[in-house]
Amino acid sequence: MVAEVTNRGWQFSGSIQKWLNWVGPILGLALVILIFSILMESPGRYLSAFNLRIVLAQTVIVAVGAIGMTLIIISGGIDLSVGSVIALTGVITALGLNAGLSPVSAVAAGILAGGVVGLVNGLVITRLRVVPFIATLGMLGVARGTAKWFAGQQTVNVPETWINELLVTFPRPAWLLIAPGVWVTILLAIVAAVVLRNTVFGRRIFALGSNELAARACGISVARLKVWVYGLAGLLFGLAGVMQMSRLRQGDPTVAAGSELDVIAAVVIGGGSLSGGEGSIFGSLIGALIMAFLRNGCQQIDWPNYIQEIIIGAIIVIAVALDRWRSSRSPV
Amino acid sequence: MRKIFVMLVVFGVIGMAALSCSNTNGPGGSTADGKKKLTVAVIPKGTSHEFWKSIHAGSLKAAKELSAQGTEVEVIWKGPLREDDREQQIQVVEGFSSQGVNGIVLAPLDNRALVRPVEEAKRASVPTVIIDSALASDSIVSFVATDNRKGGMLAADRMGELLNGKGKVLMLRYQEGSASTQDREDGFVEELKAKYPGMELISSDQYAGATRDTAKRASENLLNRFGDEVQGIFTPNESSTAGMLLALQDIGKAGKVTFIGFDTSETFSEAMRNKQLHGIVVQNPFNMGYLGVRTMVEHLLGKGVEKRIDTGVTMVTPENLNAPEMQTLLHPPLEEYLK
Repeated sequence: MVAEVTNRGWQFSGSIQKWLNWVGPILGLALVILIFSILMESPGRYLSAFNLRIVLAQTVIVAVGAIGMTLIIISGGIDLSVGSVIALTGVITALGLNAGLSPVSAVAAGILAGGVVGLVNGLVITRLRVVPFIATLGMLGVARGTAKWFAGQQTVNVPETWINELLVTFPRPAWLLIAPGVWVTILLAIVAAVVLRNTVFGRRIFALGSNELAARACGISVARLKVWVYGLAGLLFGLAGVMQMSRLRQGDPTVAAGSELDVIAAVVIGGGSLSGGEGSIFGSLIGALIMAFLRNGCQQIDWPNYIQEIIIGAIIVIAVALDRWRSSRSPV
Repeated sequence: MRKIFVMLVVFGVIGMAALSCSNTNGPGGSTADGKKKLTVAVIPKGTSHEFWKSIHAGSLKAAKELSAQGTEVEVIWKGPLREDDREQQIQVVEGFSSQGVNGIVLAPLDNRALVRPVEEAKRASVPTVIIDSALASDSIVSFVATDNRKGGMLAADRMGELLNGKGKVLMLRYQEGSASTQDREDGFVEELKAKYPGMELISSDQYAGATRDTAKRASENLLNRFGDEVQGIFTPNESSTAGMLLALQDIGKAGKVTFIGFDTSETFSEAMRNKQLHGIVVQNPFNMGYLGVRTMVEHLLGKGVEKRIDTGVTMVTPENLNAPEMQTLLHPPLEEYLK
């Protein structure tokens, strides 16, 4: 029916579609917060600045990962190795600090290590033509094992540096209001959103995910673009690892097992489509926030852990169902 | 519009589901007669092991007793979403400190990683009592745990008694970097050297590793080397004791060597009845949960509390195994408190 309307009508319905993609996740987040505020006996505490600071700091790791994952998912790929890469890069940062590197170089080492893992993923996918699911599933094991190996199967404690202060609840100086890591995440999100929306590189990622053959026919070097996407996302996963190390104040090779699913869930809840070509940085961040507020709310309302798991699981399925329903109606 | 509508319906349904299963009161509430209620959050390392269930039951006993004595206390029990995951445990601590519970009783998964959230909770006026494993911080009310060194010394005394103060003994350590078991091992070695000069420690530098499986392999290697001369064996925790027991049974040496273990399990009681195991040092997790909550409440009521509280270690032997007080230690009254 949509296909039959005039050109102008198509544009109009297209912009509604866009608007809905924007507003849907926000509405979801607002609803989660609203529901918990109603259920909570003392909603003042749930909505307090203190709790907000805590939830934001807790979201950072998944959010930074989700920025990278959004690039990958829009390009039509997937990366299952995020959790392991977070552990590996956290360990590398901690080892760097202990080896006498300055904090800046240690952070750089962690981020670059993530980038290298991403490049390897991209090369395996394009050169060896292994589908992303399998290539990154393999990397999940390789990176986790490497993290344990580097760390000597122990946690690596680090000396006191500013890295430890990245995600504290009470930031210093106090005028920052929220943890410095949260500001970094917001800044990165803005940069990534602009790159995706307004640069040739960003539009090519969308083209690649929407229709790889067409993208190739348009003269886009598909293989090189994929390697770039995985490499860039890897840098972000490396940063997530640095953030994780900052929260634990140690490099822990066993941490973040299973958090790739949180990251993918954030992107999907935020409107990303696993068939590629769709997704937004903003939506993914909202997706990450929805899960963080859910966890925080479930705990403060004193529900057992299994209810949290059921609710978050249900929301992921519902979000994907909505995604399917949306794409079945979309004007093609 | 249809999409928004669907979204609304979906979240509405979740909300209804949430409403229908919410029957607990939030923290910081008041009792019917208007007196202030104290809310204490108890955070274990995991929730599925028997050890943590005992701690849960003990903490509920403390709440029940204190409430009966006129101080209304509510215990909230919450483990990390993924068991043994430090990040998840940090999130639980942070959640409780922003929720504004009156106090936290925490068994930290790591002595360093949990320092920041505990210190931030203190800044938000939520004090913490640490149970089970130490935390590298001065910002805590008290540390309520087993005196592991004493546990090791008990084992050495039992060994010396059974072997009449002479013979060759080996100790299989648990794992590098585990503070609690290292204290047990140190206690054992020191007591043996100080009180029983006639006994010789022929091996004390091998590690069992994390699981029963690695412990069995390490035990087999050790027994292969020292099996003919060794007269006494000590292992410092559940998995190393289980692994050593399996290895001894495999080569038919079980019962021929004096074997002292640590921690409880049904297999160990059975092995003691069969005289394959000659004693186990037992902690008291039920008491740990009980004293953890009690200490927190006493602190909240403004009473002074000890910085270090010992929850007790006991030597269970084939002889006293069936005594009622040993049976309560081995089988704490979980059903009475965990409904």
